[in-house]
Amino acid sequence: MAAPIILRLKGVKKKFGDFTALHGIDLEIEEGEFFTIVGPSGSGKSTIIRLLVGMDDLTEGEISLRGNRIDQVPANLRPTCMVFQSLALFPHRSVGENIEFPLKIRGVAPAQRKERAIELLDLLRLPREFYGKRIQQCSGGEKQRVALARALAFDPEILFFDEPLSALDYRLRKTLEKELKDLHERTGKTFVYITHSLEEAMVMSDRIAIMRAGRFEQIATADEIYARPVSRFVAEFMGEVNLFDVHGTPNGGLVGKGIELHVNGVARDYGLDLGPEARFTMMVRPESLRFLPAGETADIILQGVLTAQYALGSRIQYNVETASGVQITVEKLREDAFGGGIGDAVVLGFDIDSTHLIGGE
Amino acid sequence: MRASRSTRVALLVYGIVVIFLLYLPLISVGFASISKARYLSFPIRTYATKWYGEALASSTVIELFNTSLKIAVIVTAVSMIVGFFGALAFARYQWRYRPLFQKLILLPIFFPQTVLGLALLIWFNTIGIVPTWKTAVVAHLVWIAPIATLVIAIRAYGFDPALEEAARDLGASTFAILREVTLPLLMPGIISAGLFAFLLSWGNFPLSLFTTGADSTLPEWLYAKMVSGYSPLVPTLGILSVLGSFVIIAVAFTLRWMVKGRQAE
Repeated sequence: MAAPIILRLKGVKKKFGDFTALHGIDLEIEEGEFFTIVGPSGSGKSTIIRLLVGMDDLTEGEISLRGNRIDQVPANLRPTCMVFQSLALFPHRSVGENIEFPLKIRGVAPAQRKERAIELLDLLRLPREFYGKRIQQCSGGEKQRVALARALAFDPEILFFDEPLSALDYRLRKTLEKELKDLHERTGKTFVYITHSLEEAMVMSDRIAIMRAGRFEQIATADEIYARPVSRFVAEFMGEVNLFDVHGTPNGGLVGKGIELHVNGVARDYGLDLGPEARFTMMVRPESLRFLPAGETADIILQGVLTAQYALGSRIQYNVETASGVQITVEKLREDAFGGGIGDAVVLGFDIDSTHLIGGE
Repeated sequence: MRASRSTRVALLVYGIVVIFLLYLPLISVGFASISKARYLSFPIRTYATKWYGEALASSTVIELFNTSLKIAVIVTAVSMIVGFFGALAFARYQWRYRPLFQKLILLPIFFPQTVLGLALLIWFNTIGIVPTWKTAVVAHLVWIAPIATLVIAIRAYGFDPALEEAARDLGASTFAILREVTLPLLMPGIISAGLFAFLLSWGNFPLSLFTTGADSTLPEWLYAKMVSGYSPLVPTLGILSVLGSFVIIAVAFTLRWMVKGRQAE
């Protein structure tokens, strides 16, 4: 059920002097999709969004919206709009006047403007009394909603977001992430979101693009990125992860380097050639590891000493050091907490099905 | 944190010194203006308001006020307009010669005003312009427009550039951005700059001295009367001039309050 492509980037390149911020990017975003671009600072994600809304000119390549090129169209004539990181609400205008701004620019009559502003206040679940309120009197979350209402008043073909939640505290951010996802469903608009937080991206997005140094490292669904990252970079982007250097054995098995990690006699088709010369990174998420009581076994077993444990709210994180000095991170839900203490010898196990192999080093 | 005893004593002494040094002279001028005597002397024996009556009836005085006001009003208006665009160039937009512009604009302010006045007079003579109150407007602007620019630039520095980008993104043309966002946000700074411009022009002596030619402004006349042929009108006009400034300050504050009030709605 592939929806039509609304936004297409072809070989988009951006240089700042000698520095290349984007190395010829290709991207297709579907109509109605919630698409998130994730990357650390300096990865080029902000550059992309500035090109998309028209605040910067690209060096090479094409951007087209529903098949029409827009890369040479000035920002104020593009049918897209953005929610800014700073929100950029006009401090000299009331909430209502902020929301009505794009309509005023278009010359819509005051009565109709107000009607639309009230509709949008309702849509964003802001009380109607907010219409006359000063921006300075709004809380962080209310400002977010006003900024969203203003962007929706523009009625854009695509709504861009430049890390609008990054300045908020954790709880509010979590609430607004869900509200945004909900708003996306209710409006049916195409959302393109930029963030440095993969966690935030996963909550909301249909698809996620991971950026690194001006290129896309992986473009996939949240599940795919979490379970099957294409590189160590992507694997490490989402919180704690255990990565083991492994290489193939002549009989088609795997052996860990610097760690007692033998995978023998357990079949798993990774879709990779596990020849004796092949080198891989094996990824195991911390929640896939188990503390093995005596008598229980797993596909892969590791022995070590518990060196630290941290409470992470609903989960507990454990650090285990193996005899060869390899650090392993384990996470368990509170109800599955490990009974022992620091300094205990522990046996860890995980199954081959919970591993993922990343090609190359 | 409460101030300690010694701090409070020090503050009190400081306050008294400031009041004596700064305000007592002003008050004494006020008293002098209502002295009945022909010459300035203390203590004042008899009081009268006759000098105010005389001042307001004098055509010379009206002429002086007229000239000072004409100059100040034009200087204020031009400074506000030039200062607005100058401040955008100074603080908001990246352009090649901005660092040079930022330094050059300070030059007239650092220049001693008497030297600046003389230089301008020589310049006017060289290009064959006869100095009148109109040349004084130019002279005042050379000094005051940069100050107005700086006053507005301070406001422009505190301006989030994303606001203009957001306005453009929401469909506003360059002119609409200026009208809807930039101008209203800088308005408090523009009004402050106007107030400064007026007061600096109204009270300016060194530049006017050199560049008004046959015309005379209020400060020039006050100076002339003090160095030769004292007139009892001197303190009177001094006070009237201060009152004129107060009116302007009141107007400016009302305007600022109205702008803020409208923004607060």
